[in-house]
Amino acid sequence: MSSNIVVRVEDLHKRYGNEEILKGVSFTVRQGEALAIIGPSGTGKSTLLRCINRLTEPDRGRIFLEDTEITSPHVDINKIRQQIGFVFQDFNLFAHLTALDNVRLGLMKVKGFSKKEATERAMHELARVGLAEKAHAYPAQLSGGQQQRVSIARALAMDPKVMLFDEPTSALDPELIGEVLQVMQELAEEGMTMIVVTHEMGFARSVCDEVIFMEKGVIVEQGPPEQVFLNPQQPRTRQFLGKISELYGGAR
Amino acid sequence: MQSIVRWSVVVGVLVVALGIGGLVPQAQTQTFKVCSDISWPPFEWTDAKGQFVGFDLDVMRIIAILKGYKVDIQNLGFDSIIPAVQAGQCDIGASGFTITKERAQVVDFSDPYWESNQSVLIRTDSGLNIITAFKAGNKIGAQRGTTGAQWVEDNVINQGIKVELKLYETYPLAEQDLINKQIHAVVEDEPAAKVAVKASKGVLKIAGIINTEEQFGFLVRKGDPNKLLPRINDGMKEMKKKGIWNNLVEAYFGVDVNLDRVTQCWADLKGYLDKNQPDAYAENMAACMAGESYKKP
Amino acid sequence: MSVILSWDTWRLLLAGTVVTVELTASLLAVGLVLGVLVALGQAYGPRPLAALCSSYERFFRAMPILVLLIVLNYGLAFLASTYELLWLRLPAFAVAVLAFGLHSSAYQSQIFRGAIRAIKPGQLLAARALGMTRWQAIRYIVLPQALRLAIPGWSNEYSGVLKDTSFVFAIGVTELTRQGWQIMQRTREVFLIFITVALIYLVLTYLGTWLLEWVERRWGVPGLTGQRQEEYGRVI
Ligand SMILES: Nc1ncnc2c1ncn2[C@@H]1O[C@H](COP(=O)(O)OP(=O)(O)OP(=O)(O)O)[C@@H](O)[C@H]1O
Ligand SMILES: [Mg+2]
Repeated sequence: MSSNIVVRVEDLHKRYGNEEILKGVSFTVRQGEALAIIGPSGTGKSTLLRCINRLTEPDRGRIFLEDTEITSPHVDINKIRQQIGFVFQDFNLFAHLTALDNVRLGLMKVKGFSKKEATERAMHELARVGLAEKAHAYPAQLSGGQQQRVSIARALAMDPKVMLFDEPTSALDPELIGEVLQVMQELAEEGMTMIVVTHEMGFARSVCDEVIFMEKGVIVEQGPPEQVFLNPQQPRTRQFLGKISELYGGAR
Repeated sequence: MQSIVRWSVVVGVLVVALGIGGLVPQAQTQTFKVCSDISWPPFEWTDAKGQFVGFDLDVMRIIAILKGYKVDIQNLGFDSIIPAVQAGQCDIGASGFTITKERAQVVDFSDPYWESNQSVLIRTDSGLNIITAFKAGNKIGAQRGTTGAQWVEDNVINQGIKVELKLYETYPLAEQDLINKQIHAVVEDEPAAKVAVKASKGVLKIAGIINTEEQFGFLVRKGDPNKLLPRINDGMKEMKKKGIWNNLVEAYFGVDVNLDRVTQCWADLKGYLDKNQPDAYAENMAACMAGESYKKP
Repeated sequence: MSVILSWDTWRLLLAGTVVTVELTASLLAVGLVLGVLVALGQAYGPRPLAALCSSYERFFRAMPILVLLIVLNYGLAFLASTYELLWLRLPAFAVAVLAFGLHSSAYQSQIFRGAIRAIKPGQLLAARALGMTRWQAIRYIVLPQALRLAIPGWSNEYSGVLKDTSFVFAIGVTELTRQGWQIMQRTREVFLIFITVALIYLVLTYLGTWLLEWVERRWGVPGLTGQRQEEYGRVI
């Protein structure tokens, strides 16, 4: 197994009741690579992402984080999750904690940092997303864009090997989307390994190294953005991209 | 006191159903728990300092001295005393218990130590007497579940005289209504009525006495596992023989039941009991209450 | 009838007040700990535990407090004497705290369960995504939020149990109402004494509610705990 593969998904299956949501999904993500996953609603993109840190238990298939099979029943899943940053569509900042405490909590309680170390690290991450001056604000006192940036800082603080983003800008007002995408772009440029589920085709195209188009639980098409966006091989992909540009006014 | 047996019976049944009766091993300790609802002067009450005073309690303390054991007096709700005695939480119940058949089925009683009669309490300015107090249409007050209430039912209402019987949670509330002219008379145990008269400063008086002759007894657990009844009965005889009993009755139930005065005399003289001298205690209590000279211990 | 209560009378009433306050505070504390555990068991425990917690809650809510008090009092006495378990011979105050605490825990668990339900599921998910164990997520995320959300409910529970504590004289704990009762039997000053007792209860209710409101404000978190009307201005 090549050592620069960070995430490897093999033949992943998941069903809810009678409905098979994931019907055998496989892909790999290399060190420093940014992978975009696009596709229609209800296709199983969120399910796939949650399987990768086992917030959802897959039914079948294997997932590796570097050399560790995280689908093995013998792994300590809490140890694995520390190494996988997760950014939710609706932020999920801890409502009773300030921005600083949101970022600090995992460092102190999960990683065992002292309060001083945790504070330093947390302030560093908040500065990285441009929110050092909001350290003492509660989530309800922050705009959606700011909350999402704090949640990115919270995930980054744990020093993850890979960051998973589940439609990080879908809950945001249009004028706030840019600030979040900006932060993500900087991350990608710094070499963070990322998997991004998104409807922001412009972002997928200009920032990501690889794009997966998923539909009905299978990968329909996969390739570098130029190929998927400019020269899609599958009619379904073409159809989807056409609809998207109608809805969102074309790729940005 | 003859407050309702209702709770005692309910609780008693519960306790017996739990299988509590008769299973406790015999206590070898020389200290016995005496339980009393210490809120029925002059038999037992808490004085202004919160200390436990009263005839029942003095009798218990003195018998303990005469018979060589110690008592630990516990203040407990009246309805809880019999269940507590059954459960072995109390060794003796001393709270003006009227000896009744129902109670005698679940506990054992000592020889009777007091015979109580009912008195008819009226407002001094009402011009009523013991006959006119029960005129048809009058309102008569009594505490729920007492012999007084029972007597009005049996001997007035059931005789066809249409008085209205008003029942109260406790006698002081009935007395207050009498003072406020809400009712015409109150039927209540004589010693307690004397307390009310004294406290009313002349507003209330006793119109007359009705002989009901109910008897009070101390009570212990069925079967008397601690062999307390012989000691209590014997102790009472000894008190009477030595004149202690008469002096105590004099002190607590004299013509004028003056709680403040009793409390004061008791505070001055209880040292005699600490020194195991019940004779001197009772003698001086009687003198003190009679306003005569007395000697502090 | 004197218009002002004597110092001795005040002293006794205050002694009773202290007992009432101690009892209320202890029973609420016992009820809080048990209530939180039961609510957590119901919300997050494995199925048998959740069922057990539900039965616990239903049982103690159905039980009239006086019956519970008396059964516990004599039940413990019975066990203590039958099996010679002397440590079970609890003082009456402890029995009262236990009986009222069990009773209150059932109500408090319900208050707390409502608060847990009001927490968005994403909160727990985010905590687990950071690598927290289930217990850590409950300890650091669910508990602090639910405790805050539960405060208004506790305010009700406090004023409710405060009044119920007057039952404890049945087993021999002399609290405020009983002190008033005893003084009344001696002095026959019915009105004055019970007006005073009523006022003391009023003050206790007011102080307790005020204290909880203060705690709610002190611990308040924007967006989580109830926005006060003043912050919005009157709507109507
Ligand atoms: N916990 C669950 N129980 C049952 N069904 C679920 C559950 N979670 C998701 N589903 C179903 O699985 C399907 C895929 O959901 P998923 O959220 O993965 O889609 P998605 O591709 O992320 O869509 P969107 O773009 O709307 O977020 C949907 O039909 C959804 O209703
Ligand atoms: Mg989704």
